[in-house]
Amino acid sequence: MTDDKDVLRDVWFGRIPTCFTLYQDEITEREAEPYYLLLPRISYLTLVTDKVKKHFQKVMKQDEVSEIWFEYEGTPLKWHYPIGLLFDLHASNTALPWCITVHFKNFPEKDLLHCHSKDVIEAHFMACIKEADALKHKSQVINEMQKKDHKQLWMGLQNDKFEQFWAINRKLMEYPPEENGFRYIPFRIYQATTERPFIQKLFRPIASGGQLRTLGDLLKDVCPNAVTPEDGEQKTQVMIHGIEPMLETPIQWLSEHMSYPDNFLHISIIPRPTD
Amino acid sequence: EALDDSEVAGICAAEEVIRYEYHVLYSSSYQVPVLYFRACFLDGRPLTLDEIWKSVHACYQARLLEGPWDTITQQEHPLLGQPFFVLHPCRTNEFMSSILTDSQKQNRHTNYIILWLSIVGPVVGLNLPLSYAQITPEQNTNADSV
Repeated sequence: MTDDKDVLRDVWFGRIPTCFTLYQDEITEREAEPYYLLLPRISYLTLVTDKVKKHFQKVMKQDEVSEIWFEYEGTPLKWHYPIGLLFDLHASNTALPWCITVHFKNFPEKDLLHCHSKDVIEAHFMACIKEADALKHKSQVINEMQKKDHKQLWMGLQNDKFEQFWAINRKLMEYPPEENGFRYIPFRIYQATTERPFIQKLFRPIASGGQLRTLGDLLKDVCPNAVTPEDGEQKTQVMIHGIEPMLETPIQWLSEHMSYPDNFLHISIIPRPTD
Repeated sequence: EALDDSEVAGICAAEEVIRYEYHVLYSSSYQVPVLYFRACFLDGRPLTLDEIWKSVHACYQARLLEGPWDTITQQEHPLLGQPFFVLHPCRTNEFMSSILTDSQKQNRHTNYIILWLSIVGPVVGLNLPLSYAQITPEQNTNADSV
């Protein structure tokens, strides 16, 4: 359907206007100007910020520069989470541009994974895709693919090539004709207010009677406190890619059309703004 | 930062004490247990992946280097949200099923967790005492709390 393919494109090409500022305690040879960039929602911070790094390194002494890391309002940003997820979770109801602080010192070892090269990002990305396929297809589809197909998924993401990526990814979105969907849905639910980083459980998209289960069904099953009681006021927003999908949406459809390139649905539950 | 020779030797010697912390988690995606671990010096400085690698016994290193999926990587602990090192779980079913079917053929009692941990643990410095493998008269499941 043409409409559904449009959703794939809208998800892929989503951008967040961001302003990067150097942390004030970093030692510079001259003043550091902020750097503005449109960040792809579907990518990872350390994959798309080479220019940011170069920009700030120009004003710093060489020996002061080690691994870059990013922080928003005191919270270190996990580079291994997709950018869109980080924004939705931490800053979606604040004014644009998204203001991120750049650090080169005092890497927070207890909070952030290291990212010494692009290989680390690729390994993480492919591990997520593999796990998603373990859930959807018992790993059959991903294991049948050749190494070059795996490489094409990564290159598509790295080079922002929608067609190149989806030429392979569409196979990960198929299911046997006798089924009506995947075996289990790859998803993670994030709430900034909890200590636990995310909730992930086994969830079947098709009920025993054959009906398509919905986003609302998933939430009721996995984190019932996030779903509003019928009569109460809705205190939270359920956000994917910056929008609130209707709770009646079949989760199978969401998985096929609104997953991130890692094939996971990353869902944020955030406080509803009171205005 | 680079690890000089004295520090490499120090990992085995009495001077440098390293504290290892091991967590056994269950992956519902792969339906197998997964070993998470982290290590730090007594002053609190965490070991880097390089330092962890150097402490893996040479006989295991070659095998780990063979496949990208059997390697040690840094991952976020799914409950604590902090960086840990992990042995990737996707091959676990492979090596466990061949051992389990053999055991069943010989009608031997098997404790999945002890069996699994005795295989993956030594690779990353966790050596189970043999007493864990002793069959007790009651055949209770206390061993599952490992």
